[in-house]
Amino acid sequence: MLRTSALQSVAIQGRFGADKGQPGLMLSVVHPLAIAMVIARKGKSKVLKDALATLKSVNVLWAGPDQYYVQSTVKSETALYIELKTKLANIASVTDQSHGRVTIRISGPKARAVLAKGTPIDLYTEEFPVGKSALTQMAHVGVHLTRTGNDEFTLSVFRGFSESFWEWLTSQSAEFGYQVG
Amino acid sequence: MLIPCPHCGTRPVEEFTFLGDATVIRPTSLEPSSMDDWMDYVYLRDNPRGNYAEYVQHSGGCRAWLVVTRNTGTHEVHSAVAAKAMKAKP
Ligand SMILES: [Zn+2]
Repeated sequence: MLRTSALQSVAIQGRFGADKGQPGLMLSVVHPLAIAMVIARKGKSKVLKDALATLKSVNVLWAGPDQYYVQSTVKSETALYIELKTKLANIASVTDQSHGRVTIRISGPKARAVLAKGTPIDLYTEEFPVGKSALTQMAHVGVHLTRTGNDEFTLSVFRGFSESFWEWLTSQSAEFGYQVG
Repeated sequence: MLIPCPHCGTRPVEEFTFLGDATVIRPTSLEPSSMDDWMDYVYLRDNPRGNYAEYVQHSGGCRAWLVVTRNTGTHEVHSAVAAKAMKAKP
């Protein structure tokens, strides 16, 4: 079945904001994306960590104490959910979040400057290295933030907040000029 | 005021929700004779100047419950530990 992004009608491709040569940053919606929340059962933290390390074609992101988001761009949401449910039986609770969260990629030389307007997290490389995830708030919206590259991050928010969050994110990006891809 | 969340690192107080005194102990008895103990447990709180241990939830972050000890006079934070790790009973 064809999935429609919650931001389809607002995340229009093109160049927006200040016109000062190269855009300061790029924004794109990561869609479709299979997402499952995984929470360790009592006393299973270590077993879960080891089990997650054996998974293939997925990204495992920290999402709180003994909690992880497992994401995949190649597996369908059903396939991912069933695989995790089977492999993590009695180790963790698994919930499909593929339709529950919207993931936005932000990259470019001004990406960090835009994020710094919203989050109190120290985004310097030493404090927040590539691969690290954090839970924070931006514009009163709960955000799961991951650094995926030196100047590249992904932001994930509840679907219901995504349009409002997009409006905030683009208005904060406007001064640098941004490209939606 | 900055709180060092054991899961997330140091974060501003705006990300946290305070519940209150972490030292009160829930009465075990349901007998009418224990009403005074329940009254104390549910309603009565000290308001000390100095060190105070409180249940605090990192509601704008990892959502975990913590026990934060701070000085109510100076707002100096002495420690923040996972409530789970303290085996604290709500
Ligand atoms: Zn936290």
